[in-house]
Amino acid sequence: MKFADFVSTEAIQADLVAEDKDGVIREMVQSLLDAGGVQEEEFESIIKAILKREELGSTGIGRGVAVPHTKHPSVDRLVGTVAVSREGVDFQSLDGEKVHLFFLLISPPDRPGDHLRALENISRQLRNDTFCRFLKQSKSADDIRQLLEEADNNQFGA
Amino acid sequence: MLLAVVEMQDTAIFLVMLGFLIGLSAIFSRHIDRLGVPVVLLFLVLGILGGSEGIGGIAFDDYSFAVRVGTIYLVLILVDGGMTTSLAAVRRVLLPAGILATIGVALTAALLALFGRLVGLPWIEAMLLGAIVSSTDAAAVLAVLRGGNLHLKPEVGDTLEVESCMNDPMAVILTVTVIELALAPGEWHWTRLVAIPVQLAIGGATGVGLGLAGKWGVERVRPATIGLYPAVTLAIAFLSFGIATVLGGSGLLSVYVTALVLGSAALPYRAGLKRVHDALAWLSQIGLFLMLGLLVFPSSLPAVAGVGLGAALFLAFVARPLAVAACLLPLRFPPRQIGYIGWIGLRGAVPIILGVFPVLAGVPGAERVFNIVFFIVVVSTLLPGATIRRMTQWLDLARPEMPTPSAVLEINSAHRLTNEIASFFIDSSAAVCGASLSQINLPPASAVMLIVRGQQLVAARGATVLNQGDHVYVFFRPEDQPFIELLFGRRESV
Repeated sequence: MKFADFVSTEAIQADLVAEDKDGVIREMVQSLLDAGGVQEEEFESIIKAILKREELGSTGIGRGVAVPHTKHPSVDRLVGTVAVSREGVDFQSLDGEKVHLFFLLISPPDRPGDHLRALENISRQLRNDTFCRFLKQSKSADDIRQLLEEADNNQFGA
Repeated sequence: MLLAVVEMQDTAIFLVMLGFLIGLSAIFSRHIDRLGVPVVLLFLVLGILGGSEGIGGIAFDDYSFAVRVGTIYLVLILVDGGMTTSLAAVRRVLLPAGILATIGVALTAALLALFGRLVGLPWIEAMLLGAIVSSTDAAAVLAVLRGGNLHLKPEVGDTLEVESCMNDPMAVILTVTVIELALAPGEWHWTRLVAIPVQLAIGGATGVGLGLAGKWGVERVRPATIGLYPAVTLAIAFLSFGIATVLGGSGLLSVYVTALVLGSAALPYRAGLKRVHDALAWLSQIGLFLMLGLLVFPSSLPAVAGVGLGAALFLAFVARPLAVAACLLPLRFPPRQIGYIGWIGLRGAVPIILGVFPVLAGVPGAERVFNIVFFIVVVSTLLPGATIRRMTQWLDLARPEMPTPSAVLEINSAHRLTNEIASFFIDSSAAVCGASLSQINLPPASAVMLIVRGQQLVAARGATVLNQGDHVYVFFRPEDQPFIELLFGRRESV
């Protein structure tokens, strides 16, 4: 599964304002809402679901990356977005480092396969240091969009 | 009758009572837990009953023996605490826990000393009282947090646990300092206070050193039987305490740090080792409370009941919450968490031993302080213990419930194993919930091995679907751990 299959390009954010875990998740779901990826009346319920998954164990997988995700009945297909925080956010990561790169995923509960393939794609791509470094350095949503596209075309050798 | 025969009979009667109570408390531990009354208090009652003024008539007032045995018990409790705490958790909460364990302890002691003085105790007794009960108790906190199936949010639970394991040295140092001040006020100078960070530093350094050396040793020694592995870890712990103390450092801190380092290593027969230390810690706690019961003379308690209860309530409602707030507010902890950590200030084993210190040293009024300590230990074990469940729910600090599996799989080996097997509880929010195993694209060299579903063991086949509530065993390489946890959620501590 490619980034293009689930990342809502209008929702990408190159400079997150939020400084804490809850704030980042809110900001990212808000941008998905603005981009039409999720419904307004489901906003709080989606945030709650993502935070519930975080309570199970942080999705901050280390090396400055976090992949908050959940399943939610209000979406009919896998949606996601990408955001970068300049300052970094304390996400209770496994390695204790601040998180700069966020990939947020929401999928319908009856499609676990898509959800898993997306997670697998994200973590495979993020194992590439060049890709991570470029993402962190990106100045605009357009930069990020382009990097995701290049990753989809295997230009980072992943 | 021959003295030896009398002695044997006395021992036999004591063992009958002890066996009866340990058995009962183990059988009813679930029910007692639900009531929130720590099981150890039963042993306190047994100690009082067995004491010279109770039906047992055991005259036990050997204070130096009490300190010696008590210290060994404390070492055993801290070894268990250290071995079962992950280094990652310690690293996460080191700052708040460290501040609570030093400045927090000193603040609590100072506030309680002030209270003691206000209710009419001489300064020395008031300061002793403050110092003796200033630290929270590792065994009590671990028992309440882990034993009661209470799943606290990690930032709160880990802070409380690590604090309780790290704050005993400070209480010991403060108590000894006050005793020195009491015995030779002329020679005492405030510069002695500089020794406190030095003792902590030596203790910490010795702990790391012995931990690393121990880790190296345990991986290489080949004892004649598996049963000797706990003997090796015990030996390392005793060495750690002894060497640090001889070097002028804090032995208790050293033991805890050593156990932390050992616990993070790939120890041979790790699961079995941990279970042995768990049992030793549990028995140590029983031993300590029995001893407190034996050492207390019930007839002398009414005289200090007013001050004792007052001090206990002041500690629970004012001193501890204030000290915690002063330490954690600057770190921007949410008020709910500050309130909770302030409330869960369980005291236990350490004050019992520390209370004996001044009695041994012959400080005037030390017996009275010891009796007041008795009240504080009882009240501050009962009060937070009985309310912790309601407080956790009320302040919404519980993690989602994670039931224990009905079967546990573990690999035992005398050799260091390179890869890991971990169990995961499948919550509905986990990515793999509802997926069949064939849909999960695991990293190479990883595999789902077994599923525990209710009373059933389910084979891990491609078509097997993971349901909510399953416990899944996954085999993986350490470098794949982040990805595995991303898919499966929280790892269970088995």
